[in-house]
This record gives sequence, C-alpha cells and structure tokens, in this order.
Amino acid sequence: MALAIFNILVFPGFLFLSVYALALEYVDRKMYARLQNRKGPPWFQPLADFIKLLGKETIIPADVDKPVFKLLPVFTLAAVTSAFLYVPIWGTNSLFPFEGDLIVVLYLLTIPTLTFFLAGWLSNSLYGAIGSVRTVTQLFSYEVPLFMALLSPAILADTWKISGMAEFYQAHPLYILLNLPAFIVAIIAIQGKLERVPFDSPEAETEIVAGSFVEYSGRLFAIFRMAIAAELVVVASLAGAIFFPVFAANPWLGFLIYLLKTLIIVAILAVFKSIMARIRIDQMVMFCWRYLAPLAILQIIINLLLKGVLPI
Amino acid sequence: MAKRNIIEKAIDWSRRKSPWIIHFNAGACNGCDIEVVDALTPRYDVERFGMLLKGTPRHADVLVCTGAVTLQTRDRLKRIYEQMPEPKFVLAVGTCACSGGIFEDCYCVSGGMDTVVPVSAYIPGCAARPEAILDAVVKLLTSLEKSQKAIDN
Repeated sequence: MALAIFNILVFPGFLFLSVYALALEYVDRKMYARLQNRKGPPWFQPLADFIKLLGKETIIPADVDKPVFKLLPVFTLAAVTSAFLYVPIWGTNSLFPFEGDLIVVLYLLTIPTLTFFLAGWLSNSLYGAIGSVRTVTQLFSYEVPLFMALLSPAILADTWKISGMAEFYQAHPLYILLNLPAFIVAIIAIQGKLERVPFDSPEAETEIVAGSFVEYSGRLFAIFRMAIAAELVVVASLAGAIFFPVFAANPWLGFLIYLLKTLIIVAILAVFKSIMARIRIDQMVMFCWRYLAPLAILQIIINLLLKGVLPI
Repeated sequence: MAKRNIIEKAIDWSRRKSPWIIHFNAGACNGCDIEVVDALTPRYDVERFGMLLKGTPRHADVLVCTGAVTLQTRDRLKRIYEQMPEPKFVLAVGTCACSGGIFEDCYCVSGGMDTVVPVSAYIPGCAARPEAILDAVVKLLTSLEKSQKAIDN
C-alpha cells in the first residue's frame, strides 16, 4: 500500500513526471533555439516560468462558471498523470498492467483535448471559442489515425496490454520494422495531439491570441502548462514503449534506455517544429483524412495479413 | 522589515528570469514596432533572458508599448494594462512613448505613455534600436534584483 502510494506520488508518478516534463520542455526549447542558430533559454527556464506563473495574480473573468473554470486545469493534469501510470518506464512492465491498458491510456490522453475545448468555451471569449472549435475539429482528424497507428502493432502482438506488446516486440525485434508506416503516422498525429507547430492552429498566437487559454492566468495557467508538458512526456513514453522495443532487465539500464527513447522522440518533434510552418485547420483536416488515415488503414491490413503468415 | 522566506525569494527570482512580454501599439508610426519585432528575431534571441512574446495580456508580465498615446487608443491601452495580472511592468519604447515626441500637444494625442499608465522604463530613440530595447529590459530586471536585495538587507 505504502509502495503504491510512493509509486503514484513520487516515482514514477506525479513528482517524477513533473520534473521530467520540465526537463523535456527545456530540451525541446533548447533544441528549437539551436536549430534556429541562437543560444536559447538557460536550463532553469521552464522551472522559472512555472514558479513565476504560480506567484502571479490569478484573474477569473466575472461571467464564467467559477468552479469548472478552476477545476479544468487540475482535471487535465490528473488525467495525464493517471495515463502515465500505465506506461512502461524502466522495463517491459508498467506499474499496474492489465489487459486493455493501451485503450485506457489513449482514452485518458483524449481528456486533455476535451478540457482544452471546455476551457476555451467556458471562458466566454471569442478567441477562446474559436480556439476550442479548432481543438475539437483537430481532434476529429488526428484521433482516428493515431488510434489506428497505435493499435495496429497491438494486432500483430495479439494483446491490448502495453507491457504484453513490449514483451512481444522484444522477443521479435525485427517485426517492429513492419510497423514503420504506423510509426510515421503516430509521429505526425502526436503533433496534432500536442498542438505543436505544424498543427498548432488551435492556439495560434498570431491570429487567435492564445486559443483556449486566452482567459487563463497565474496559477491555473501554470497547471495547464504543466499538464501540456506532462502530456508530451506521456505521449513520448508511450510511443517509445510501442515503437522502440528496447528494454533491459537491469532497472538502472532500463531507465537510461527509457530516457534515451523519449529524448529521441522529443528531438524528432523539435526538428519538425523548427522546419515547419503552421498549416490552416482545413488543410490539417484534409491532410489527416486523405493521407494519414489511409496509411494507418494500410498498416492494419498489412498486420492482419502478416498475422496469418508470420511464425509467432 | 520582516525577513522574507524562501518561497518569496524563489518567486522574486523567477520573476526576474521569466519576463513574458506583450506588444501594444498605442499610435506609433510603426517604426518602433518594426524594431520591437526585430528584437524578437532569432538574431537577438530574447529567449536567453526567458522572454517570450505572448498574445494575451493575461499571460504577460511586461507591456511593451510604442507610440504617443492617441485619444483613440487611450482607453484601450488602459484596458490592456488592467487585464494584465499583477505584478506588471510597462516599457515605453521610442521617443513618442517616452514624452509624446513630435506629437506633443497635438490635438488628438494624450502625450507620453506615463500620462495613462505607470511606466517602469523609458527607451528613447526614433526609432529605438533593438539593442536599446534589450538593454532596457536587462536594466529593468537588474534594478528589480537590486530592489529585491535591498528589501532583504
């Protein structure tokens, strides 16, 4: 019982997730800066931003639903943190593995998008409303390819358990090459989920100010930022566990491999952030349904066919 | 003066290290705005000081304001300033923002930035150079550090 509480609150739960989220945010921003040939922020920058926002005045607009407005950031962070408990960190096993945890993680990762929608919609701001509608429009375009891309490796592994998939691909490492189209789809869809640069029209600061977060300030916005940074960690860990099936029996070595995997994914995302420009929401929807979804369906067909052929 | 605890010191430190800015044109000829935008390019790299350009006043700490305040924008400027959460600072960029410049005593101009909102730092120049803007920000943060240290001692 005490160990479970330690696991949930300290490692690999809330505390570790927060610290690693700040670290990965720094890596992301520093890499982005270096790719633009500038020096970039110092190492404590995400921490300073977080503390500063915690210490600032929190303004709540007069005509919003106050309890919901205050609850949404906490709800987002809670959903992301719970999702993290089902993702393997230092070995093939996650903290509380069960059959079907892949679906639960994907479901919990959808909650932030919905809270972003509610946050913008409830803040009674025109910019917030536009950002919210874009968030949901984007959800309907990337979510289906992302689910198919993460579930098609599960078809080949014949399990809905993330740790089961990890064990399967560790036993058959070459099979992961068959999932290359799914990996490409997942990396692109992840950028839609995290609202990163090619798909950041929901919070496009140059046209709709800050999208859903336009009325959030101070402490509430700090929690939202932390939740977004934590979402990056969870998504990177999930993609690392599914698409880079390298695990070690030694927990320390396994943890190092985990850090390496997430850093690789964040590096890929940072490169995309610096070489791409924002695309319009209609272009985003068209791209996702015209190219990403068929590619993901192709991957599912390939995996279904291979399942009958390959010796498993 | 009571000794401040470590949390208050940490908050002071973080305020010096992470000034997020919002840019507002109160009636400038666009010369200073171009220079502000120039200061935000990768060449000058304001993210070294933790500065980020924010679109909404709710997220910003520093209001970077250009131009003499016209009667049209006076109420808007006041409203933008009031929408920013405490603590907040105002930078007056350019001679017009400092004093009204050549628009002083014009029939449609209220004057410099300090006729409407309290100003923390003045950056003269027509137009103010990006180096001058960065210098002003760093001086503002240094003076903040000095006053915070003075409270401690």
